[in-house]
Amino acid sequence: MLKFKKTNYIAVQSAEPQVPEGLWIKCEACGELLYKEDVKANRYVCYKCGKYFRLTTRKRLRMVADKGSYEKWEEGIENENPLDYPDYQEKIASLKERLKIDEAVTCGKCTIHGEEAVVCVCDGRFLMGSMGYVVGEKITRAVERATKERLPVIIFTCSGGARMQEGMVSLMQMAKTSAALKRHSEAGLLYISVLTDPTTGGVTASFAMLGDIILAEPGALVGFAGPRVIEQTIRQKLPEGFQRAEFLVEHGLIDDIVEREELKDTLAKLIVMHRPVKKTEALIPNRRKEVEKEKIQENVTAWDRVLRARDAARPVAMDYIQEIFTDFMEFHGDRHSGDDGAVVGGIAYLDGCPVTVIGQQKGKNTKENLVRNFGMMSPEGYRKALRLMKQAEKFNRPIICFVDTPGAFCGMEAEERGQGEAIARNLFEMSDLTVPVLSIVIGEGGSGGALALAVGNEVWMMENATYTILSPEGFASILWKDASKAPKAAEVMRVTAKDLKELGIIEKIISEPEPANPQNVEGIAAEMQEEIRRFLHKYLDMGKEELANQRYERFRRM
Amino acid sequence: MFQKILIANRGEIAVRIIRACREMGILSVAVYSEADRDALHTQLADEAVCIGKAASSDSYLNMERILSAAIATKAQAIHPGFGFLSENEHFADMCENCGIVFIGPSGSLIGKMGNKSQARKTMMEAGVPVVPGTKEPVFTPEEGAKIAAEIGYPVMIKASSGGGGKGMRIAIDPENFETNFKLAQQESVNSFGDDTMYIEKYIEEPRHIEFQILADKFGNVIQLGERDCSIQRRHQKMIEESPCAVMDEELRKRMGDTAVLAAKAANYENAGTIEFLLDKHKNFYFMEMNTRIQVEHPVTEMVTGIDLVKEQIRIAAGEHLRIRQEDVVLRGHAIECRINAENPEKNFMPCPGTIEELHFPGGNGVRIESALYNGYTIPAYYDSMVAKVIVHGENRMDAIRKMQSALGEVVVEGIVTNLDFEYDILNHPVFVSGKTNTHFIPDYFE
Repeated sequence: MLKFKKTNYIAVQSAEPQVPEGLWIKCEACGELLYKEDVKANRYVCYKCGKYFRLTTRKRLRMVADKGSYEKWEEGIENENPLDYPDYQEKIASLKERLKIDEAVTCGKCTIHGEEAVVCVCDGRFLMGSMGYVVGEKITRAVERATKERLPVIIFTCSGGARMQEGMVSLMQMAKTSAALKRHSEAGLLYISVLTDPTTGGVTASFAMLGDIILAEPGALVGFAGPRVIEQTIRQKLPEGFQRAEFLVEHGLIDDIVEREELKDTLAKLIVMHRPVKKTEALIPNRRKEVEKEKIQENVTAWDRVLRARDAARPVAMDYIQEIFTDFMEFHGDRHSGDDGAVVGGIAYLDGCPVTVIGQQKGKNTKENLVRNFGMMSPEGYRKALRLMKQAEKFNRPIICFVDTPGAFCGMEAEERGQGEAIARNLFEMSDLTVPVLSIVIGEGGSGGALALAVGNEVWMMENATYTILSPEGFASILWKDASKAPKAAEVMRVTAKDLKELGIIEKIISEPEPANPQNVEGIAAEMQEEIRRFLHKYLDMGKEELANQRYERFRRM
Repeated sequence: MFQKILIANRGEIAVRIIRACREMGILSVAVYSEADRDALHTQLADEAVCIGKAASSDSYLNMERILSAAIATKAQAIHPGFGFLSENEHFADMCENCGIVFIGPSGSLIGKMGNKSQARKTMMEAGVPVVPGTKEPVFTPEEGAKIAAEIGYPVMIKASSGGGGKGMRIAIDPENFETNFKLAQQESVNSFGDDTMYIEKYIEEPRHIEFQILADKFGNVIQLGERDCSIQRRHQKMIEESPCAVMDEELRKRMGDTAVLAAKAANYENAGTIEFLLDKHKNFYFMEMNTRIQVEHPVTEMVTGIDLVKEQIRIAAGEHLRIRQEDVVLRGHAIECRINAENPEKNFMPCPGTIEELHFPGGNGVRIESALYNGYTIPAYYDSMVAKVIVHGENRMDAIRKMQSALGEVVVEGIVTNLDFEYDILNHPVFVSGKTNTHFIPDYFE
């Protein structure tokens, strides 16, 4: 240290700065002091660490509803205090007074970028957003009214669960709200739940988890049992990130995480994509008058086709999805145990027609393949695909599948979770889907793992795709005890598009003037798009039963 | 007057401001990053508060922590120095909302002058000359020629995507406009695949001349003469002087009046600088306004005898300007050289390190602004400027000789500096002759 003489001043008395109250808040997550105005401008997300702060009902509605469009449904439902719990009603009265909301949920109708919807918002400040009779009743009435008025429902959840002060009456609200949502769903209507921090207990185990689409805010804690209860029960410390939104996606429990910045746009887009469209509005007319003859390169050996189908540079499902469709929105998870990266699925538009798109997705490098598992699906992948197909059926969307897999994943975990059952279930359920189903083999069509996405009204193959009972190497080693005879096996097995068309296994071949590669994928995809458009023109005219019957007969013949 | 001021900066400018506070009987609070525990400003101030890690974003740019430090130490005002938060509109607003005086103009004024197109518009409306040209893209020689005629020759034809001199041509007169336009456009298409062009006035042999302004809260605005900052390397000023070698009383009055007009047009408050380009025909054009104290402010202080930092503090405290325009007289000639810890041999790469031996010159008319001391380790996180040597002489030649002598006396061991480079500039006949412009370094040293 340098030894400076510091001057001793005689302090002239002057005013100390007066800092107004309420200018600052502290982020509990990172401990940083934050300027409130900036937090507000950042949609109540910490601009230092990204932590999402809880929103009041008013702020949430301001963020989502078009200005001035929210019509609050005042029901005037009175709390009954079934347990005669001391001071309960006084507590409620004081909360109503202070928070200017009449219970832990606010229900009403509004427009979101012009799209009408019933929107319910839970408020964590009101007895931790817990669900008692009034909350259950308000939600039930809102959902019933939505069913009657044929409107989509969006619920922002934020709750500790059932309201203890109301005992069993509170528990019954879980069944009541779920039942109302079931009727809403049976009417073919859309329900989106948006899980916000925290959502636990009886709310998670009822309306929160019943969305056709379940979204969550980043970092939101969502679970049935709260983390403290679990820790006390199992006497273990829970890992970092347990029960957080990111954990839920990884475990296949929700469709996606949505940031506040994107929230309103996403909700509006989802509502629009679920609106029924007439066929005349859905598709632009065919661009070409004549169907071009399938031009297939001759003199290519079956083994060469096998090698081309497996080529690392060959375009993968997402390449075609991006080229052919617009507004693709991916949904994750099987709602049970995981989100399989080997298959992607979601909704998108072809022209003006909403479609469900599902594709087996190979990685383009090692890093991608850590997630994609080389396109080898696990049971949770087949279950995700089936979930999305059932969703498509509910909303009358055609289903387009892209098949590209060496086979179903062969591993311990897959067997433990029932790989065989998962594949079988898909064959079983796909057989009578009441919407058009088209499957296109774009690379490897590896056995049962491929078939589980290929129970379609039509199945097509790309010129250099293969569709096999097992790999030529496997065939050669089983029958001839020599895997090196795979090229010969490929010939014998009849695995090429041309062979399979002759056998009546597939309907159409998408030609590849040059083997598909990143340079020519655009052209091939354009061709494919035109063919899919033709397919939809034909099948959108058919009735539900007719579609199921046609598919049944297709396989019945084989 | 304030009782305590927090200095939201580091290095020599923080030291400069602390000294001004001490002379005014004001307590000073330094803020410092973890890398600046031993820095001179940290040690010199009456109080010091650590505000975070070495990276600027965690410390000297962290508005919340700086304001917390001000609130905790009960400082009534914050001096932002230059760089860091000095021209941050939002920070100035935050200070105001917290009841702490930001020593500088208001946030909205910083915003207004910080936005180049808005500043240009404000100045045009006030009748301040700006560099003629369009912000409209041009695609054909016919359109271009029309605009060039309006602007007046010579004009610069510039490619929108241009860089490194590519897609750039000067047209002296209408006869060679079309050829040059086509050449520039072709070059741009070949290099950047873009045929979007702009036309603006070509400023011949431009000098960077800036006027120092002081304005109080009561609408009084004065100018303290000019600084010539034409000696620049890649827009980094290296040597500044006052007065400018080619300035005469008539031109100074015109430019000075314009600078005052510009500051009044912006409703300016506190110290500021109006930057002009001055061409060889003595036409001048407004470039931009800097809404803070500047690195080169000492040269103005030397020739006017006015302490700019103290004036800033007085203005912020709500005092009237005590100096009238007629009191401002430029005496003699001042030059400043910036000494940076950087290696001219290695493309001016920053060279932080530990000062093993340090000697600064002294004597009549020699001033040093520095935060260096023997044994000090320069951290690698911040600006590489470590000292400024300022001299004041009777006339320009006297000042140049004084600077040559002073620089020759500077010893900084342990790090590489640009001292020799500065020395070479001072000895260059063109510099000595005073016939410099902003092309000086590119023309003679690159």
